[in-house]
Amino acid sequence: MSFSLARGMIIARREYLSTIRRKAFVFSLLLTPMVFGLVTAIQVLTASDEAKQALKIGSIAVVDSAGLLGSAPRKFETEVLNKDDATRRLKAKAEPKRVPTTIEFFPDQVSALAALKSGRVSQVLVVPPDYLARGQLRRFKLSNNLFSSSDERAVGRWLARSLVANAVDSVRADRASRPLSGIQLFTPTKSGEYELHDESRELIDFFVPFGMGLLLSIAIVTGGQYLLQGVSEEKESRILESLLCTVTSEELMFGKLVGLGGAGLTLVAAWTLMGSYFVAPLAMAGKFHMSPLLLAFGVLYFMLGYLFYASLMTGIGAIATNLREANQMAILFTFANFVPFYMLPKIIGHPDSGLAVALSLFPLTAPTSMLMRLAATDVGVPAWQIGASLALLAGAAWLAVVISARVFRIGLLMYGKSPTLPEIIRWARQG
Amino acid sequence: MLEVRDVTKSYDGRAVVNSVSFEVQPGEIFALLGPNGAGKTTLIRMITDILKPDSGSIMLGGSPVGGDQRALVSYLPEERGVYKRARLVDVLAYFGELKGMKSPDARATAMRLLEKVELAGHAQKQVQTLSKGMQQKVQLCTALIGDPRLLILDEPFTGLDPINVQLFERVLQERRAAGTTILLSTHQMNKVEQLCDRALMINRGHMVLYGSVREIRRRHSGHAVVVSGGAVPDGVPGVSRVAKVNEGHLLTLEPTATPEGVLRALLERGMSLRSFALDEPPLEDIFVKVVTEGLGLDRGQSGPPTVDELMASGSAR
Repeated sequence: MSFSLARGMIIARREYLSTIRRKAFVFSLLLTPMVFGLVTAIQVLTASDEAKQALKIGSIAVVDSAGLLGSAPRKFETEVLNKDDATRRLKAKAEPKRVPTTIEFFPDQVSALAALKSGRVSQVLVVPPDYLARGQLRRFKLSNNLFSSSDERAVGRWLARSLVANAVDSVRADRASRPLSGIQLFTPTKSGEYELHDESRELIDFFVPFGMGLLLSIAIVTGGQYLLQGVSEEKESRILESLLCTVTSEELMFGKLVGLGGAGLTLVAAWTLMGSYFVAPLAMAGKFHMSPLLLAFGVLYFMLGYLFYASLMTGIGAIATNLREANQMAILFTFANFVPFYMLPKIIGHPDSGLAVALSLFPLTAPTSMLMRLAATDVGVPAWQIGASLALLAGAAWLAVVISARVFRIGLLMYGKSPTLPEIIRWARQG
Repeated sequence: MLEVRDVTKSYDGRAVVNSVSFEVQPGEIFALLGPNGAGKTTLIRMITDILKPDSGSIMLGGSPVGGDQRALVSYLPEERGVYKRARLVDVLAYFGELKGMKSPDARATAMRLLEKVELAGHAQKQVQTLSKGMQQKVQLCTALIGDPRLLILDEPFTGLDPINVQLFERVLQERRAAGTTILLSTHQMNKVEQLCDRALMINRGHMVLYGSVREIRRRHSGHAVVVSGGAVPDGVPGVSRVAKVNEGHLLTLEPTATPEGVLRALLERGMSLRSFALDEPPLEDIFVKVVTEGLGLDRGQSGPPTVDELMASGSAR
């Protein structure tokens, strides 16, 4: 029978509308970003607060057994950034708050530790007699957590300045304590000219490839989950035989791919829009731009990757006897989709490495990996690799559509028993 | 209307449907019978173009099934379901649109069908809020919408109360009167006798009975009559044996005797008759006999009837 696009679109419309009208969809649409945002905010605020608290040292008890710190300043200041500093720092150099720290010398470790215990000081720094020779220091603090060493840099600067205080003037002493504070890093552009490296872009250079890969993965998983759910629920409801009398399995599969896949994409698009509202100021401050070529490749990989995974999920939904079984079968492919994230430092840090190239050629990992590489290199991936990756992915997607359509037609009519692998292969061959 | 010619379908080398041929005339209710596993569902799936036959042809209105013919066929399978979370009117309109109706027409027709099955008041409710019987009526409506020319119903009466059974019967009769051809697969033989014009029975993929329901019963009659009323007189010419049965007496006729001759003889001998009927076994007995005695055993161990024999008997309506 000839394929009827009209019937396929009727199915797609019903699948789409019935999915997005479900309470679960609306909850997912609104609650997921809220929960994600809340958890992230709590994490960031808590971490930032902890780190900030750690920088508010208060006073340090110093035991100078080496006799090196006689001319050391008796106080120094630590710069602490405000809560929303991340955005402010990119927009303009925000003025940090200066927190004073006082130094109090103690004759021995015992008295210093007593002061620490009593709360008179917040930490103890013991400089042993052989410090110059061995470089070993002892520091005592009452807190013991991830941020216990956050203030080390501030203490280190004071120590560096104190060590040279007698030998050089105060300007040199200051500079010795922060020798790289004014460093300017120049990196080559595409034309080979060196330009000042923009620190704020580092964040964007990481988040663009990471974000694009993440979006694609979420879309694949979300859309795939809707497909799995839609196909297996319909199979369980035993309505398919009535439908298959009226429409072909190809039309049914097309309608589900478009409708349920579209519902998944709607979810991701809505989340992206919501996320953009918060990320946009950051991106604008970082002079974010995306080349049209990268965008075009992004769309291409997105579509091919989505078609590939969605077809696989539809086929799995058709052969599984229920949703639980479908999820168990699909987990392997879902995991494969996330493999590039385990290799993230390698792919973004070394986009031309063998591993990155291999992952971007293998169809199951190609969409996410290649998107990350393209974004990381500003579309600097060799053309043959892009061509081979797209060809392999397109071939795999075509194969997935054909096999899934064949398996779909027979699998839909099988109830209560999952087919064996040889059976699935036979269906795929027979069509 | 429907013409099935020498259709065979095998799975793993085993013929599930074996050289089956039959015709269904426009506007008739045709019964498809057979024990569980006989191959009825496979046959129906081939008629609905869900499965392709290995060999043979299935024509609908002179054209192969599938393609544009698909819009002319509706199927209510035995294992049926419906979208539980959707509203009644939406479910029916969806099926109507898939049958080629415009959306407003589909919704209007859906409402008319719901009125017919007394569910119009529930049109905006979700299917899952209805009772099982009500859901079954919705399922029937999904098959009726789009005005199919061939309506295939697999066990449509299962689970219905007597009132809804009557409602279903009434709907089917109306459809027949409107010219719809109905293929009815059921194990309820009384419904076949009551509703169907002709029947085909298959067993283990082979055709074993084919013809008009009346003719099938006549062919399996025991050349006897059942009478009730007064006492049966002794020595009635043409009667070889008299046995008491529930509804009166079973009179086995001599091979050369005719029912008319025996009736005349009984009246001549002054028997007061309340009823006189040919002893035609109910279809259920014929079904059990054909299935339990195996293929062709009811034909004197001569093997299953050939397709030509069955086709010949089927065309003799």
